[in-house]
Amino acid sequence: MTRTPDHRYPVGTVQALLDGEHVTAPTRAALQARLTDPPAAQPDMLGNRVGLLAAVCARLVPQSGSAPVDVAGMLHARLATGVGDGWRYADLPPDPLAWRRGLEGIGETAQAMFDGDFTGLTAGDQDAVLHAVQAGSPAGEIWRELPAARFFETLLAAVVETYYAHPLAQEDIGYAGMADAPGWQVIGLGEREAREPAGIVA
Amino acid sequence: MRRYRPADIVDAVVIGSGAGGAPLLARLAAAGLSVVTLEAGRRWSPPEDFATDETEQNKLFWRDERLTTGGTPLAFGRNNSGIGVGGSTLHYTAYTPRAQPDDFHLHHDFGVGVDWPFGYAELAPYYDELEAFLGVSGPSSYPWGPPRPAYPLSPLPLNGAAQLMARGCDALGFRTSPAANAALSAPYYQPSIGWRPACTNRGFCQAGCSVGAKASMDVTYIPLALARGAEVRPECFVTGFERDASGAVTSVIYRRDGADERQRCRSVFLCAGAIETPRLLLTTGLGNASGQVGRNLMAHTGLQLWGSFDTAVRPYKGIPGALISEDHHRPADADFAGGYLLQSIGAMPVTYAGTVARGRGLWGEALTRHMRGYNHVAGINILGECLPSPVNFIELSDETDARGLPKPLAHFTAGENERRLTAHADKTMRAIWQAAGARDIWTFDRYAHIIGTCRMGDDPADSVVDRDGRAHDLPNLIICDNSVFPSALSVNPALTIMALSLRTADRFLARVAQGDI
Repeated sequence: MTRTPDHRYPVGTVQALLDGEHVTAPTRAALQARLTDPPAAQPDMLGNRVGLLAAVCARLVPQSGSAPVDVAGMLHARLATGVGDGWRYADLPPDPLAWRRGLEGIGETAQAMFDGDFTGLTAGDQDAVLHAVQAGSPAGEIWRELPAARFFETLLAAVVETYYAHPLAQEDIGYAGMADAPGWQVIGLGEREAREPAGIVA
Repeated sequence: MRRYRPADIVDAVVIGSGAGGAPLLARLAAAGLSVVTLEAGRRWSPPEDFATDETEQNKLFWRDERLTTGGTPLAFGRNNSGIGVGGSTLHYTAYTPRAQPDDFHLHHDFGVGVDWPFGYAELAPYYDELEAFLGVSGPSSYPWGPPRPAYPLSPLPLNGAAQLMARGCDALGFRTSPAANAALSAPYYQPSIGWRPACTNRGFCQAGCSVGAKASMDVTYIPLALARGAEVRPECFVTGFERDASGAVTSVIYRRDGADERQRCRSVFLCAGAIETPRLLLTTGLGNASGQVGRNLMAHTGLQLWGSFDTAVRPYKGIPGALISEDHHRPADADFAGGYLLQSIGAMPVTYAGTVARGRGLWGEALTRHMRGYNHVAGINILGECLPSPVNFIELSDETDARGLPKPLAHFTAGENERRLTAHADKTMRAIWQAAGARDIWTFDRYAHIIGTCRMGDDPADSVVDRDGRAHDLPNLIICDNSVFPSALSVNPALTIMALSLRTADRFLARVAQGDI
């Protein structure tokens, strides 16, 4: 039985780094804004499905902290900018439409599988719905036209990249790269500089 | 900075300021020509503008939407495309191996693909010049390829992933070497540029270097070009051309602040990369008498292999591609044409998380548990050959962008050769990582640099430009970027694009000297 590495940092580690002397001004500005400012309010891009998106995000990137990252709000704010990754699978419609239809599809699949709204299902049933979408042939009319596995991959990548861009998520994986001002001199295997905190568990 | 007026007839307009455009811009300016480069993106001031944060740095990637399809659809954006003064060199990893002589004649050796119209010997002097000018850090003696001068600077230090790759390769008898990286291991001076500082091992090359240690074009050839009298005009998106009765281009039309402007010129150098270059030619209908514009799309096989180690790696530190092995450049047991290089790689957290999501499909507790082991993760990847195929090409889609121009649509399906090469590399890398002590090994099948959509060749029937980069059917249009590569080469393309850029400038200047232009 091998041990799974777990390298969480204590709560407050990233804020302490941001408050310290080892972070450059542009890095501090970007991270402090993400840490402090709630996602900007947007006109509804998702046809009243931000709550559904939040329920999906809660299963894709479950959070245990007392102040969870508002992944759905950040995604919604990004959709409103109209700027994406720079590419899109040609068999998916443009982003806001793909997201609206995909979320509608998840709702349909929830109804077909468990006869209820996705947001009202147990966590286990919600996971079963998401697994069905990921596997590529879920129940629901929407999925006849929208490729389910492709949509799920796009959704999952966006959720995961949004979550792990947040300083609190980076704290949860023991990331200290934002302490960028002096550069790194101790970079070898198993080596740690003084400003890289030790993990809770490691 | 010198500024030209739109009514001035400049000797050359250069479209794009990356690895294809910037070196020739500086070369032409140094020869006394009047030159303007039009760059779609901004001019950044890295110390103030660049954060050690991947999301903030998304501004370095070309994010106008590209559509992708085929059996193995290509990812664009941060995978391979840049915007801003300096182009994709703003976010390249600085990995600058030379191509080897046999890379240029794959068809001669294997009977597949096509040969370049010239060989290694033609580019070798430019490789020498570039390594000295950029300040490439590397070993004093490089184990592969023909004899070559020592790199001007000592290698950059090896990070955890590089040490693990060395351990695995040593166990299996594969040779390794500190890689050639165009990032400074010591302060470096060049006239007209001044001192550039040494790399701080910040590990964020792919999100932009904030100190100027990495030899992106904005801190090397662009300042040199400015010192020689070139004009760099940022935030200008080229949309078309004006031509005279003979068909020659007489001005370049571009959009700035929402309005159309034009710059009159005698020649145009199109250096916008292997998507935007053919896209502009397809939207304007220029240079495509052969019907080959957009064809022969290639993308380097770029399989990544990841694993977890008991010892902490902290994969965000150090130059990402610190170690190389070219022992598989032409593997003895290959059932495919060409070969690949191996490199250790770094992992920035957001990119890594996205790779786990797309590559493994992990989510929920399985994902967050895996990510808590991020500090123990290390990866290696290949950069390998890709053959041209009639099913792989760029075309214009039916969708338009915010400017009203058609979005490009890329078709890409990996062929038998790519699949066999990738399978060979999977086996090789898996053995290396097992020997290094990795657990939980997994792979991410990806295709990297975009190459070959405006092929260079001697026959106007099956190529777009001649060996000097001139469009066969439009002699005052010259193309110089990764689009003209006849074959993919089994190395990262940046150094070869720059070498081609210097050569293209010299060939042009030779014709100027002869009175041909």
